[in-house]
Amino acid sequence: MRVIAGIVRAISGFNWLVGNVFSWLALAIVVVCFSVVVQRYVFSTTQLWMQDLYVWLNGAMFTAVAGFALLRNDHVRVDIFYRPASVPRKALVDLIGVLLFLLPFAWIVYTYGWNFVARSWRIHEASPNPGGMPGYFVLKSFILVFAAVIALQGIAMLLRSVLVLAGREELLPSQLRYENQQETH
Amino acid sequence: MDPVLLGEILAGLMFFGVIGFLMLGFPVAFTLAGVSLMFGLVGMWMGVFDPSNFGSLAGRYIGFMTNEVLVAVPLFIFMGVMLERSKIAEQLLLTMGKLFGDLRGGLGISVIIVGTLLAASTGVVGATVVTMGLISLPAMLRAGYDPKLASGVICASGTLGQIIPPSTVLIFMGDMLSGINAQVQMAKGNFAPTPVSVGDLFAGALLPGLLLVGLYLGWMVFKAIFDPASCPATPVPEAEKKDLLREVVVALVPPLVLISAVLGSILGGIATPTEAASVGAVGAMVLAAFRWRLSPRIVREAVISTATITSMVFIILFGASVFSIVFRLMGGDNLVHEFLSQLPGGTTGAVIAVMAIMFLLGFILDTFEIIFIVIPITAPVLLNLGVDPVWLGVIVGVNLQTSFLTPPFGFALFYLRGVAPNSVSTGMIYKGVLPFVGLQILALALLFLFPDIATWLPRWIYS
Amino acid sequence: QGNQTWRMVTTWPKNFPGLGVGAQRLGDRITAASGGRLTIQVYSAGELVPPLQSLDAVIEGSAEMSHGAAYYWQNKSAGLSFFTGVPYGMTSRELSGWVRYLGGQEIWDEIYDQFGVQGFLSGDTGNQAGGWFRNELTGVSDIQGLRFRTPGLGGRVWEKLGASVTNMAAGEIFQALQSGTLDAAEFVGPYNDLALGFYQIAKNYYFPSFIEPGLATELVVDKAKYQALPSDLQAIIRDVCQAEYDSVAADFAANDPRALQTLVNDHGVQIRQFPDEILEAGANAAKEIMEGLLSSGDALTKKTAESFVSALNVVRQKTEGTDSLFIQAREKYFHI
Ligand code: NA
Ligand code: NA
Repeated sequence: MRVIAGIVRAISGFNWLVGNVFSWLALAIVVVCFSVVVQRYVFSTTQLWMQDLYVWLNGAMFTAVAGFALLRNDHVRVDIFYRPASVPRKALVDLIGVLLFLLPFAWIVYTYGWNFVARSWRIHEASPNPGGMPGYFVLKSFILVFAAVIALQGIAMLLRSVLVLAGREELLPSQLRYENQQETH
Repeated sequence: MDPVLLGEILAGLMFFGVIGFLMLGFPVAFTLAGVSLMFGLVGMWMGVFDPSNFGSLAGRYIGFMTNEVLVAVPLFIFMGVMLERSKIAEQLLLTMGKLFGDLRGGLGISVIIVGTLLAASTGVVGATVVTMGLISLPAMLRAGYDPKLASGVICASGTLGQIIPPSTVLIFMGDMLSGINAQVQMAKGNFAPTPVSVGDLFAGALLPGLLLVGLYLGWMVFKAIFDPASCPATPVPEAEKKDLLREVVVALVPPLVLISAVLGSILGGIATPTEAASVGAVGAMVLAAFRWRLSPRIVREAVISTATITSMVFIILFGASVFSIVFRLMGGDNLVHEFLSQLPGGTTGAVIAVMAIMFLLGFILDTFEIIFIVIPITAPVLLNLGVDPVWLGVIVGVNLQTSFLTPPFGFALFYLRGVAPNSVSTGMIYKGVLPFVGLQILALALLFLFPDIATWLPRWIYS
Repeated sequence: QGNQTWRMVTTWPKNFPGLGVGAQRLGDRITAASGGRLTIQVYSAGELVPPLQSLDAVIEGSAEMSHGAAYYWQNKSAGLSFFTGVPYGMTSRELSGWVRYLGGQEIWDEIYDQFGVQGFLSGDTGNQAGGWFRNELTGVSDIQGLRFRTPGLGGRVWEKLGASVTNMAAGEIFQALQSGTLDAAEFVGPYNDLALGFYQIAKNYYFPSFIEPGLATELVVDKAKYQALPSDLQAIIRDVCQAEYDSVAADFAANDPRALQTLVNDHGVQIRQFPDEILEAGANAAKEIMEGLLSSGDALTKKTAESFVSALNVVRQKTEGTDSLFIQAREKYFHI
């Protein structure tokens, strides 16, 4: 059980780190998009690669932080029955959800995305827009990053459910326990 | 059994299956994808679904990840979060409260005006209900307001952000409707379709949004005249009034400048929504800096909120893609087409049916899930029947806003419940919003009778 | 082996004049010619995948065929641009000369072999229009800072001429022009452009398109599945593509002039020619780009460019030495 709690902590720590790093892309989007606007409207000039850059940053950001958002319980739930449920019941829902929905989804994205991404690396695919950004394969890789971060966080959720159902939730640090899970909107 | 029929039956079952499983309470994005995969598996066994179709998932995802129009979403979210952190809402509520406090119903009117200003300067909902619930609800209760009226006016004004542009919901809807409209018109042989854009939808939603504001204000005035006990005046001490004019100017000018810069440049056709949103995001940072609220900690909180909210919304889109691949390729499109085109009442009947479904879904699902599931499968049929895309987008927006106000499951009610004092019972909140739900329905009826309320402004601007 | 159904994804909207219609007709012709043994189910842009993901859909196996333009995939292999058309490159007749008889198809196959697919020429718009401009152009100085919509290598040419270039989807161009986000835009030619209503905003319609001498469409098929077909079905696909290359070109040949007449007579559009200074500067920019491709570090791209240039120097002898002289003479002396 302690090992399980350790894994939950490690995964959550990893996604916390990824989330905290990649969230800063939000600021980068603002800065790059704003400079494209200034260039276009003030200086009547343009850099084709910058028109790609801020769009790509958004794609990288929202895929990379998906696991962090799951850790923070930011992903919307239908909570008519979930919100008032007891902790073991919530744990059971999460257990079933991860096994039946989340992991198969991550697996499908991984299975059907792998070749798509690998091929892009092989040919060092650049932006579809001539004059655009190099390294399209890096952006495409974020599809797999997405599958990985949600699968990992899903496993953490699943293990947490196991701890709860085994009556050992206290092995988790308090911010990872159900009582401190923030309510969704 | 005929495989076509079998596929359609499975697609139909899948729609209800998804809704059923969503009730479990597992995050929507993953439930949507997971249940669709299960039905895809069943379809494969029965020979009505080819799993190689999942090969298009990665392509769809990279499509979302490189969609320029949708970058307006994180930008507007960032702008909204930044404004929230610079406490503009608080300042507005306090000064407006002083300005109108002397009047009967004045506090209610100030809540509506502030709600409108906030709605026009950010693209996110939720925060507004919470802020007003924290600041204005106690003030109104102290002033002796009927808690029902106070709750109702806060919930209604706080959800205006969804319909008054800029709005993240309208961005997604504009992006979808623009593609669907082009497809439908070309398929009908109209090669010069008037293009529909996010800008059109923003323009189309402006007057209906203001119509709602007008109805709310009218209701407050009505209450002030015929039920004065429900919304008494609160005399403001002379001392507090001394600097009032200056305070009002200070509180009002920044949001007004931002609104005119952002909305003005979009509606005036100077900039695209994404370009304008980046200006708004920078403007919000500048405002925060002027208020000494641009610390590294606040910026860090803002980027984390922006990134996680954006991720949450786009990942629902990812999940909804799995749903739409399975649904479409099992023949669900035909099913919807047959269902909608055989309803009594023709086009109007079809629109009303879709609105009713969305309204009901609004009790359990959030805006984004509803539009990502329902718009792609119903809008092609409705637009093919001749429904105006801008009008459709606007009534969907108003309809969903209504649904979020409607007891017992409306989301706005949950937000307010979360911050309201215990003296305000849940039952009071429910009763309080009912008149506003009535006003929403009145607005919807007006939109049906006079579609020009939504379509006139975009027509006028872009001609 | 019984009857099969293949999915064809396309980069065109349904019923899009010339191109979308051509894709649908191509599918229908295969279905009809095979007597229903090979039914082609055509999906328009965005129905199954976003338009620019069509090739990937075939490679990933979620479609058997894709109808589009090879230059959309220039980021997978720069040489693919040549099979659609490059600035100052080949006309449609010249292009099919290169592809069929001067080694083009072999190189194209070599490029697509890496992805397990095979390409066939399947249509051509002929020379396109140069673009819609709000203001008249007197020289290169008028291009500085001009906000212009044009995709592909043509976009890079215009960028070198000083324009601020954006690529924008068809549905967005009109409003961007109207709102002033764009000063000018280039799309296809009169047949398609009339439909998009650009004449309402920009009245100066410039010819010729030196960046798009033509736009050859391609049909891409999953190579393994293609080779597994009985030889008669393989022949049907190949020959229907060849027939369609002609049908699409004929469609544009017949309808571009009629649409242009409507634009001029009913909508007051001014037909203009690019000033020589722009044509020459454009040619120099195109040469720079071509030289870049000729010295590409990627062997296959270099080989494609070399084959293209040497074929161009063959086929242009007939086009410029014979056809063009005749056209000039006919224009000058023969009107009935
Ligand atoms: Na708003
Ligand atoms: Na073109």
